Amino acid sequence: MTEETHTAPVEPAAVEEPLDLVRLSLDERIYVKLRGDRELRGKLHAYDGHLNMVLSEVEETITVVEINEETYEEVIRTQKKTSEMLFVRGDGVILVSPPVRTG
Amino acid sequence: MQSQERSPTEFLNNVIGRPVLVKLNSGVDYRGILSCLDGYMNIALEQTEEWVNGQLKNKYGDAFIRGNNGIKSIL
Repeated sequence: MTEETHTAPVEPAAVEEPLDLVRLSLDERIYVKLRGDRELRGKLHAYDGHLNMVLSEVEETITVVEINEETYEEVIRTQKKTSEMLFVRGDGVILVSPPVRTG
Repeated sequence: MQSQERSPTEFLNNVIGRPVLVKLNSGVDYRGILSCLDGYMNIALEQTEEWVNGQLKNKYGDAFIRGNNGIKSIL
């Protein structure tokens, strides 16, 4: 092999379009923010251009803000659900991120 | 801003790699470095910060934002 030392980045083919970011997350655990104050954390198995996705070992967090009618205090309640396998329709997706550094 | 920009697409291409503010219809703002975008206005950001009501809510290393969320402005 001759020396072809073009400085190839570690990432394969890097990110040229936004969906590449999702492609690079295949088989990884991702964080998904959905409409209606819902969040998902799970392993990404498949996706398409609509951002329909198949996730496994999913933890869904639903956040509900209730206002106490007497004290007007905001009460933030979170509810968690787990699913072994979940299909997510893409139209509900707001944001997708690899879960590292997600608080 | 440079004067040779003629179309929105050219403007956006010039903004790639720069810090941007993305405002969604929901009132959530994302600040980050624009890595790329596509024809649906799906957006990929790096070093993303999520701001709601002037408060920093979350940070993401990389973030994909789906284009249909009513992106109001990129500054």
